[in-house]
Amino acid sequence: MSEESHLSDQELLLVVDGELSPRESGRVQSHLAACWACRVRKQEIETAIGEFVRLQRQDFNLRIPPADGPRALLKAQLAQQARPERISRLPWFRSVSLRVGWAVLAVVLVVATVTPFVFRTYVRRPAARFTAVTVPNPRLTPGATVLLSEREICREVSVNNKPVPIALQQKVFDEYGLRAAEPRAYEVDYLITPALGGADDIHNLWPESSSATVWNAQVKDALEDHLRNMVCEGQLDLATAQHEIASNWIEAYKKYFHTDRPVEVQRY
Amino acid sequence: MADSLTESDALVVPSADRRRSPESAIDEKVIGLFDELRVPLLRYLAGFPLTVHDSEDVIQEVFLALFRHLRSGKSHQNVRGWLFRAAHNLALKKRFRSRRDVENAGLMLVEERLADPAPNPEDQLAFSQTQKRLVSVVRAMPEQNRWCLYLRAEGLRYREIAEVLDISLGSVCLYLERSLAHIARAAER
Repeated sequence: MSEESHLSDQELLLVVDGELSPRESGRVQSHLAACWACRVRKQEIETAIGEFVRLQRQDFNLRIPPADGPRALLKAQLAQQARPERISRLPWFRSVSLRVGWAVLAVVLVVATVTPFVFRTYVRRPAARFTAVTVPNPRLTPGATVLLSEREICREVSVNNKPVPIALQQKVFDEYGLRAAEPRAYEVDYLITPALGGADDIHNLWPESSSATVWNAQVKDALEDHLRNMVCEGQLDLATAQHEIASNWIEAYKKYFHTDRPVEVQRY
Repeated sequence: MADSLTESDALVVPSADRRRSPESAIDEKVIGLFDELRVPLLRYLAGFPLTVHDSEDVIQEVFLALFRHLRSGKSHQNVRGWLFRAAHNLALKKRFRSRRDVENAGLMLVEERLADPAPNPEDQLAFSQTQKRLVSVVRAMPEQNRWCLYLRAEGLRYREIAEVLDISLGSVCLYLERSLAHIARAAER
Protein backbone atom coordinates (compact mmCIF):
# COMPACT_ATOMS: atom_id res chain seq x y z
CA MET A 1 0.00 0.00 0.00
CA SER A 2 1.39 3.37 -0.94
CA GLU A 3 2.04 6.23 1.52
CA GLU A 4 -0.59 8.41 -0.19
CA SER A 5 -3.35 5.98 0.62
CA HIS A 6 -2.84 6.03 4.41
CA LEU A 7 -5.72 7.21 6.58
CA SER A 8 -5.60 10.71 8.06
CA ASP A 9 -5.53 11.22 11.84
CA GLN A 10 -9.01 12.71 11.62
CA GLU A 11 -10.34 9.61 9.87
CA LEU A 12 -8.72 7.43 12.51
CA LEU A 13 -10.22 9.54 15.31
CA LEU A 14 -13.66 9.44 13.70
CA VAL A 15 -13.55 5.66 13.47
CA VAL A 16 -12.31 5.36 17.08
CA ASP A 17 -15.22 7.54 18.23
CA GLY A 18 -17.80 5.78 16.06
CA GLU A 19 -18.59 8.98 14.17
CA LEU A 20 -18.31 7.61 10.61
CA SER A 21 -21.24 6.48 8.49
CA PRO A 22 -21.51 2.68 8.08
CA ARG A 23 -20.19 2.93 4.52
CA GLU A 24 -17.20 5.08 5.47
CA SER A 25 -16.56 2.93 8.50
CA GLY A 26 -16.45 -0.19 6.33
CA ARG A 27 -13.89 1.44 4.02
CA VAL A 28 -11.68 2.50 6.94
CA GLN A 29 -11.92 -0.89 8.66
CA SER A 30 -10.85 -2.74 5.52
CA HIS A 31 -7.89 -0.36 5.16
CA LEU A 32 -6.91 -0.94 8.79
CA ALA A 33 -7.08 -4.70 8.28
CA ALA A 34 -4.42 -4.37 5.61
CA CYS A 35 -2.24 -1.51 6.97
CA TRP A 36 0.00 -1.99 10.01
CA ALA A 37 1.12 1.63 10.06
CA CYS A 38 -2.44 2.96 10.32
CA ARG A 39 -3.28 0.38 12.99
CA VAL A 40 -0.35 1.60 15.07
CA ARG A 41 -1.48 5.22 14.71
CA LYS A 42 -5.02 4.26 15.69
CA GLN A 43 -3.59 2.54 18.74
CA GLU A 44 -1.64 5.71 19.61
CA ILE A 45 -4.84 7.75 19.49
CA GLU A 46 -6.59 5.31 21.80
CA THR A 47 -3.60 5.39 24.17
CA ALA A 48 -3.76 9.20 24.28
CA ILE A 49 -7.49 9.01 25.09
CA GLY A 50 -6.70 6.53 27.86
CA GLU A 51 -3.98 8.81 29.28
CA PHE A 52 -6.35 11.76 29.40
CA VAL A 53 -9.24 9.85 30.96
CA ARG A 54 -6.95 8.32 33.61
CA LEU A 55 -5.45 11.70 34.41
CA GLN A 56 -8.83 13.40 34.64
CA ARG A 57 -10.43 10.72 36.82
CA GLN A 58 -7.43 10.31 39.12
CA ASP A 59 -6.93 14.01 39.68
CA PHE A 60 -10.61 14.81 39.97
CA ASN A 61 -11.64 11.93 42.22
CA LEU A 62 -9.23 13.22 44.87
CA ARG A 63 -11.23 16.44 45.08
CA ILE A 64 -14.84 15.54 44.53
CA PRO A 65 -16.93 16.85 47.42
CA PRO A 66 -19.80 14.75 48.81
CA ALA A 67 -23.15 15.24 47.08
CA ASP A 68 -25.34 15.42 50.21
CA GLY A 69 -24.90 19.17 50.84
CA PRO A 70 -25.43 20.40 47.28
CA ARG A 71 -28.33 17.97 46.86
CA ALA A 72 -30.08 19.24 50.01
CA LEU A 73 -29.49 22.83 48.93
CA LEU A 74 -30.99 22.18 45.50
CA LYS A 75 -34.04 20.47 47.03
CA ALA A 76 -34.58 23.43 49.36
CA GLN A 77 -34.27 25.90 46.48
CA LEU A 78 -36.66 23.88 44.33
CA ALA A 79 -39.18 23.88 47.17
CA GLN A 80 -38.82 27.65 47.47
CA GLN A 81 -39.27 28.13 43.72
CA ALA A 82 -42.29 25.85 43.55
CA ARG A 83 -44.23 27.59 46.34
CA PRO A 84 -45.63 30.71 44.55
CA GLU A 85 -46.42 28.69 41.44
CA ARG A 86 -48.43 26.17 43.45
CA ILE A 87 -50.47 28.90 45.09
CA SER A 88 -51.22 30.69 41.83
CA ARG A 89 -52.33 27.45 40.17
CA LEU A 90 -55.03 26.72 42.73
CA PRO A 91 -58.39 26.98 40.89
CA TRP A 92 -60.20 28.69 43.78
CA PHE A 93 -57.51 31.34 43.95
CA ARG A 94 -57.89 32.15 40.28
CA SER A 95 -61.67 32.42 40.52
CA VAL A 96 -61.67 34.99 43.31
CA SER A 97 -62.90 38.25 41.81
CA LEU A 98 -61.00 41.49 42.16
CA ARG A 99 -63.66 42.93 44.48
CA VAL A 100 -63.51 39.99 46.86
CA GLY A 101 -59.73 40.23 46.69
CA TRP A 102 -59.79 43.84 47.87
CA ALA A 103 -62.21 42.92 50.68
CA VAL A 104 -59.90 40.11 51.83
CA LEU A 105 -56.95 42.48 51.69
CA ALA A 106 -58.79 45.02 53.85
CA VAL A 107 -59.67 42.38 56.44
CA VAL A 108 -56.07 41.16 56.50
CA LEU A 109 -54.81 44.70 57.05
CA VAL A 110 -57.21 45.27 59.94
CA VAL A 111 -56.28 41.96 61.55
CA ALA A 112 -52.59 42.68 61.07
CA THR A 113 -52.98 46.08 62.76
CA VAL A 114 -55.10 44.92 65.69
CA THR A 115 -53.47 41.57 66.44
CA PRO A 116 -50.18 42.84 67.93
CA PHE A 117 -52.11 45.16 70.25
CA VAL A 118 -54.45 42.37 71.40
CA PHE A 119 -51.52 40.01 71.73
CA ARG A 120 -49.47 42.40 73.88
CA THR A 121 -52.46 43.35 76.01
CA TYR A 122 -54.17 40.07 76.69
CA VAL A 123 -51.77 37.27 75.87
CA ARG A 124 -48.77 37.07 78.17
CA ARG A 125 -47.27 33.75 77.17
CA PRO A 126 -44.48 34.68 74.77
CA ALA A 127 -42.55 31.44 75.27
CA ALA A 128 -45.53 29.14 74.82
CA ARG A 129 -44.10 27.58 71.64
CA PHE A 130 -40.46 27.91 72.50
CA THR A 131 -38.35 24.79 72.78
CA ALA A 132 -34.81 25.26 74.06
CA VAL A 133 -32.25 23.55 71.82
CA THR A 134 -28.70 23.64 73.13
CA VAL A 135 -27.44 20.39 71.59
CA PRO A 136 -28.50 19.23 68.10
CA ASN A 137 -30.37 16.03 67.47
CA PRO A 138 -27.64 13.61 66.26
CA ARG A 139 -30.09 11.84 63.96
CA LEU A 140 -31.01 15.08 62.17
CA THR A 141 -27.64 16.81 62.50
CA PRO A 142 -24.82 14.29 62.59
CA GLY A 143 -22.42 16.87 61.09
CA ALA A 144 -20.98 16.96 57.56
CA THR A 145 -17.60 18.07 56.28
CA VAL A 146 -15.95 19.03 53.02
CA LEU A 147 -12.73 17.44 51.82
CA LEU A 148 -10.14 19.94 52.96
CA SER A 149 -6.73 19.32 54.45
CA GLU A 150 -5.52 20.95 57.68
CA ARG A 151 -3.19 23.05 55.59
CA GLU A 152 -6.01 24.36 53.41
CA ILE A 153 -8.13 25.14 56.46
CA CYS A 154 -5.34 26.95 58.29
CA ARG A 155 -4.37 28.93 55.20
CA GLU A 156 -7.40 31.20 55.73
CA VAL A 157 -6.61 33.85 58.32
CA SER A 158 -10.22 34.16 59.43
CA VAL A 159 -13.26 32.34 58.14
CA ASN A 160 -16.69 33.89 58.51
CA ASN A 161 -19.66 31.53 58.30
CA LYS A 162 -21.67 32.02 55.13
CA PRO A 163 -25.26 33.08 55.80
CA VAL A 164 -27.59 30.08 55.53
CA PRO A 165 -30.22 30.58 52.77
CA ILE A 166 -33.72 31.25 54.13
CA ALA A 167 -35.17 28.19 52.36
CA LEU A 168 -32.59 25.95 53.98
CA GLN A 169 -33.19 27.56 57.38
CA GLN A 170 -36.90 26.84 56.98
CA LYS A 171 -36.11 23.23 56.16
CA VAL A 172 -34.02 22.95 59.33
CA PHE A 173 -36.90 24.37 61.40
CA ASP A 174 -39.29 21.91 59.74
CA GLU A 175 -37.04 18.96 60.47
CA TYR A 176 -36.81 19.97 64.12
CA GLY A 177 -40.59 20.39 64.34
CA LEU A 178 -40.25 24.13 65.00
CA ARG A 179 -42.56 25.19 62.20
CA ALA A 180 -44.67 27.40 64.49
CA ALA A 181 -41.77 28.68 66.56
CA GLU A 182 -40.66 32.29 66.72
CA PRO A 183 -37.76 32.37 64.19
CA ARG A 184 -35.86 35.01 66.17
CA ALA A 185 -35.68 32.59 69.09
CA TYR A 186 -33.23 30.47 67.09
CA GLU A 187 -30.14 30.91 65.03
CA VAL A 188 -29.53 28.25 62.37
CA ASP A 189 -25.91 27.42 63.09
CA TYR A 190 -23.30 25.06 61.66
CA LEU A 191 -22.55 22.12 63.95
CA ILE A 192 -19.05 21.75 62.53
CA THR A 193 -18.05 25.29 61.67
CA PRO A 194 -16.75 25.91 58.12
CA ALA A 195 -13.58 27.17 59.84
CA LEU A 196 -13.02 23.50 60.76
CA GLY A 197 -14.11 22.11 57.39
CA GLY A 198 -17.88 21.95 58.09
CA ALA A 199 -20.10 21.67 55.02
CA ASP A 200 -23.05 23.81 53.82
CA ASP A 201 -25.25 20.80 54.33
CA ILE A 202 -28.56 20.33 56.12
CA HIS A 203 -26.94 17.49 58.06
CA ASN A 204 -24.55 20.06 59.49
CA LEU A 205 -27.14 22.69 60.43
CA TRP A 206 -29.29 22.97 63.57
CA PRO A 207 -31.50 25.58 65.25
CA GLU A 208 -29.53 26.91 68.21
CA SER A 209 -31.60 28.69 70.86
CA SER A 210 -30.72 32.35 70.97
CA SER A 211 -31.89 32.67 74.56
CA ALA A 212 -29.83 29.85 76.06
CA THR A 213 -28.07 31.49 78.98
CA VAL A 214 -25.26 29.07 79.81
CA TRP A 215 -24.36 26.93 76.79
CA ASN A 216 -25.06 29.52 74.12
CA ALA A 217 -23.73 30.44 70.65
CA GLN A 218 -20.94 32.61 72.07
CA VAL A 219 -19.64 29.69 74.11
CA LYS A 220 -19.72 27.45 71.03
CA ASP A 221 -17.88 30.13 69.01
CA ALA A 222 -15.16 30.16 71.68
CA LEU A 223 -14.83 26.36 71.39
CA GLU A 224 -14.63 26.58 67.59
CA ASP A 225 -11.85 29.19 67.78
CA HIS A 226 -9.99 27.15 70.38
CA LEU A 227 -10.19 23.91 68.38
CA ARG A 228 -9.12 25.65 65.19
CA ASN A 229 -6.09 27.14 66.94
CA MET A 230 -5.21 23.70 68.28
CA VAL A 231 -5.53 22.15 64.80
CA CYS A 232 -3.45 24.87 63.17
CA GLU A 233 -0.78 24.67 65.86
CA GLY A 234 -0.56 20.90 65.36
CA GLN A 235 -1.86 20.03 68.83
CA LEU A 236 -4.96 18.26 67.52
CA ASP A 237 -5.71 16.55 64.23
CA LEU A 238 -8.56 17.88 62.14
CA ALA A 239 -10.61 14.67 62.07
CA THR A 240 -10.59 14.48 65.89
CA ALA A 241 -11.65 18.12 66.22
CA GLN A 242 -14.52 17.56 63.75
CA HIS A 243 -15.59 14.37 65.53
CA GLU A 244 -15.49 15.92 69.02
CA ILE A 245 -17.53 18.98 68.09
CA ALA A 246 -20.05 16.88 66.11
CA SER A 247 -20.50 14.29 68.88
CA ASN A 248 -21.32 16.72 71.71
CA TRP A 249 -19.98 20.23 71.57
CA ILE A 250 -20.68 20.88 75.26
CA GLU A 251 -18.66 17.83 76.31
CA ALA A 252 -15.93 18.91 73.89
CA TYR A 253 -15.92 22.37 75.51
CA LYS A 254 -15.55 20.87 78.98
CA LYS A 255 -12.75 18.62 77.76
CA TYR A 256 -10.69 21.23 75.93
CA PHE A 257 -11.27 24.14 78.32
CA HIS A 258 -10.87 21.86 81.39
CA THR A 259 -13.99 23.26 83.04
CA ASP A 260 -17.56 22.25 83.80
CA ARG A 261 -18.95 25.69 83.06
CA PRO A 262 -18.22 28.18 80.28
CA VAL A 263 -15.33 30.50 81.03
CA GLU A 264 -16.06 34.24 80.98
CA VAL A 265 -16.24 35.46 77.39
CA GLN A 266 -14.32 38.68 76.94
CA ARG A 267 -16.65 41.36 75.57
CA TYR A 268 -15.43 44.38 73.66
CA MET B 1 -23.36 7.36 33.78
CA ALA B 2 -24.40 10.13 31.43
CA ASP B 3 -24.51 7.74 28.49
CA SER B 4 -27.64 6.10 29.84
CA LEU B 5 -29.61 9.29 29.20
CA THR B 6 -30.81 9.03 25.64
CA GLU B 7 -32.60 11.65 23.64
CA SER B 8 -35.81 9.69 23.53
CA ASP B 9 -36.21 9.07 27.26
CA ALA B 10 -34.72 12.27 28.57
CA LEU B 11 -37.94 14.02 29.47
CA VAL B 12 -40.52 11.29 29.45
CA VAL B 13 -42.37 11.38 32.78
CA PRO B 14 -42.87 7.77 33.94
CA SER B 15 -46.49 6.65 34.26
CA ALA B 16 -46.17 6.38 38.06
CA ASP B 17 -45.18 10.07 38.10
CA ARG B 18 -48.44 11.07 36.44
CA ARG B 19 -50.33 10.16 39.59
CA ARG B 20 -48.37 12.80 41.51
CA SER B 21 -48.66 16.57 41.06
CA PRO B 22 -46.80 17.91 38.01
CA GLU B 23 -44.47 19.99 40.23
CA SER B 24 -43.43 17.05 42.37
CA ALA B 25 -42.80 14.95 39.24
CA ILE B 26 -40.60 17.75 37.88
CA ASP B 27 -38.85 18.06 41.26
CA GLU B 28 -38.02 14.37 41.21
CA LYS B 29 -36.92 14.48 37.60
CA VAL B 30 -34.58 17.40 38.30
CA ILE B 31 -33.15 15.77 41.43
CA GLY B 32 -32.69 12.51 39.49
CA LEU B 33 -30.79 14.33 36.76
CA PHE B 34 -28.75 16.16 39.41
CA ASP B 35 -27.74 12.82 40.96
CA GLU B 36 -26.83 11.47 37.54
CA LEU B 37 -25.01 14.43 36.04
CA ARG B 38 -23.54 16.47 38.92
CA VAL B 39 -20.18 14.68 38.81
CA PRO B 40 -19.85 14.76 34.99
CA LEU B 41 -20.68 18.49 35.09
CA LEU B 42 -18.15 19.09 37.89
CA ARG B 43 -15.53 17.29 35.82
CA TYR B 44 -16.38 19.40 32.79
CA LEU B 45 -16.21 22.65 34.76
CA ALA B 46 -12.77 21.58 35.97
CA GLY B 47 -11.65 22.26 32.41
CA PHE B 48 -12.43 25.98 32.62
CA PRO B 49 -10.96 25.86 35.28
CA LEU B 50 -13.26 26.90 38.16
CA THR B 51 -12.87 26.37 41.90
CA VAL B 52 -14.95 23.59 43.46
CA HIS B 53 -17.10 26.21 45.17
CA ASP B 54 -17.78 28.13 41.95
CA SER B 55 -18.50 24.90 40.08
CA GLU B 56 -21.08 23.87 42.68
CA ASP B 57 -22.70 27.33 42.40
CA VAL B 58 -22.90 26.99 38.62
CA ILE B 59 -24.46 23.54 38.90
CA GLN B 60 -27.10 24.78 41.36
CA GLU B 61 -28.00 27.58 38.93
CA VAL B 62 -28.14 25.16 36.00
CA PHE B 63 -30.57 22.79 37.71
CA LEU B 64 -32.75 25.65 38.96
CA ALA B 65 -32.89 26.93 35.38
CA LEU B 66 -33.83 23.44 34.21
CA PHE B 67 -36.60 23.31 36.83
CA ARG B 68 -38.01 26.67 35.69
CA HIS B 69 -37.78 25.58 32.09
CA LEU B 70 -39.62 22.31 32.62
CA ARG B 71 -42.23 23.95 34.84
CA SER B 72 -43.03 26.43 32.10
CA GLY B 73 -44.04 23.46 29.94
CA LYS B 74 -41.09 23.60 27.57
CA SER B 75 -39.32 20.41 26.62
CA HIS B 76 -35.93 19.39 25.35
CA GLN B 77 -34.85 16.87 22.81
CA ASN B 78 -31.60 16.37 24.66
CA VAL B 79 -31.51 17.32 28.33
CA ARG B 80 -27.92 16.26 28.84
CA GLY B 81 -26.74 18.51 26.01
CA TRP B 82 -28.92 21.35 27.36
CA LEU B 83 -27.40 20.99 30.84
CA PHE B 84 -23.83 21.02 29.53
CA ARG B 85 -24.57 24.03 27.36
CA ALA B 86 -26.20 25.92 30.25
CA ALA B 87 -23.28 25.00 32.52
CA HIS B 88 -20.82 26.18 29.87
CA ASN B 89 -22.49 29.58 29.47
CA LEU B 90 -22.91 30.13 33.22
CA ALA B 91 -19.32 29.08 33.86
CA LEU B 92 -18.10 31.66 31.34
CA LYS B 93 -20.08 34.36 33.17
CA LYS B 94 -18.90 33.13 36.55
CA ARG B 95 -15.29 33.14 35.43
CA PHE B 96 -15.64 36.62 33.99
CA ARG B 97 -17.10 37.88 37.29
CA SER B 98 -14.42 36.09 39.34
CA ARG B 99 -11.64 37.57 37.24
CA ARG B 100 -13.15 41.04 37.50
CA ASP B 101 -13.48 40.70 41.28
CA VAL B 102 -9.92 39.50 41.56
CA GLU B 103 -8.64 42.31 39.37
CA ASN B 104 -10.64 44.86 41.37
CA ALA B 105 -9.22 43.51 44.59
CA GLY B 106 -5.71 43.53 43.14
CA LEU B 107 -5.21 39.93 44.13
CA MET B 108 -3.68 36.99 42.37
CA LEU B 109 -6.04 34.47 40.79
CA VAL B 110 -7.18 31.82 43.17
CA GLU B 111 -4.87 28.88 42.85
CA GLU B 112 -7.18 26.21 44.15
CA ARG B 113 -8.58 24.72 40.97
CA LEU B 114 -10.29 21.44 40.37
CA ALA B 115 -7.89 20.64 37.59
CA ASP B 116 -4.81 21.53 39.56
CA PRO B 117 -2.39 18.80 40.53
CA ALA B 118 -2.04 17.88 44.16
CA PRO B 119 -2.26 20.73 46.66
CA ASN B 120 0.08 19.41 49.33
CA PRO B 121 3.62 17.98 49.22
CA GLU B 122 2.58 14.38 49.90
CA ASP B 123 0.10 14.34 47.04
CA GLN B 124 2.53 16.18 44.80
CA LEU B 125 5.06 13.41 45.30
CA ALA B 126 2.46 10.82 44.39
CA PHE B 127 1.67 12.69 41.20
CA SER B 128 4.05 11.23 38.64
CA GLN B 129 6.18 13.28 36.33
CA THR B 130 4.17 12.11 33.32
CA GLN B 131 0.93 13.16 34.91
CA LYS B 132 2.37 16.57 35.77
CA ARG B 133 3.47 16.96 32.17
CA LEU B 134 0.03 15.96 30.94
CA VAL B 135 -1.64 18.43 33.31
CA SER B 136 0.51 21.26 32.01
CA VAL B 137 -0.15 20.23 28.40
CA VAL B 138 -3.92 20.18 28.97
CA ARG B 139 -3.78 23.52 30.78
CA ALA B 140 -1.81 25.09 27.95
CA MET B 141 -4.28 24.00 25.26
CA PRO B 142 -6.55 26.58 23.63
CA GLU B 143 -9.83 26.60 25.50
CA GLN B 144 -11.93 25.23 22.65
CA ASN B 145 -9.59 22.24 22.34
CA ARG B 146 -9.74 21.58 26.06
CA TRP B 147 -13.51 21.93 26.25
CA CYS B 148 -13.96 19.48 23.34
CA LEU B 149 -11.74 17.00 25.15
CA TYR B 150 -13.62 17.29 28.45
CA LEU B 151 -17.04 17.05 26.78
CA ARG B 152 -16.02 14.01 24.75
CA ALA B 153 -14.66 12.41 27.93
CA GLU B 154 -18.15 12.79 29.43
CA GLY B 155 -19.60 10.80 26.54
CA LEU B 156 -21.03 13.60 24.39
CA ARG B 157 -21.18 12.87 20.67
CA TYR B 158 -19.56 15.29 18.21
CA ARG B 159 -22.93 16.77 17.28
CA GLU B 160 -23.72 17.47 20.95
CA ILE B 161 -20.29 19.02 21.52
CA ALA B 162 -20.83 21.25 18.48
CA GLU B 163 -24.15 22.42 19.96
CA VAL B 164 -22.73 23.07 23.43
CA LEU B 165 -19.80 25.10 22.10
CA ASP B 166 -21.66 26.54 19.10
CA ILE B 167 -19.03 25.40 16.62
CA SER B 168 -19.07 23.19 13.50
CA LEU B 169 -18.71 19.40 13.48
CA GLY B 170 -15.47 19.77 11.53
CA SER B 171 -14.07 22.04 14.23
CA VAL B 172 -14.92 19.50 16.92
CA CYS B 173 -12.99 16.80 15.05
CA LEU B 174 -10.07 19.12 14.37
CA TYR B 175 -9.79 20.31 18.00
CA LEU B 176 -10.00 16.78 19.34
CA GLU B 177 -7.35 15.58 16.93
CA ARG B 178 -4.99 18.40 17.95
CA SER B 179 -5.65 17.88 21.66
CA LEU B 180 -4.97 14.16 21.49
CA ALA B 181 -1.81 14.75 19.45
CA HIS B 182 -0.51 17.05 22.23
CA ILE B 183 -1.34 14.46 24.86
CA ALA B 184 0.30 11.65 22.88
CA ARG B 185 3.52 13.69 22.52
CA ALA B 186 3.55 14.59 26.24
CA ALA B 187 3.02 10.95 27.23
CA GLU B 188 5.83 9.75 24.93
CA ARG B 189 8.51 12.06 26.37
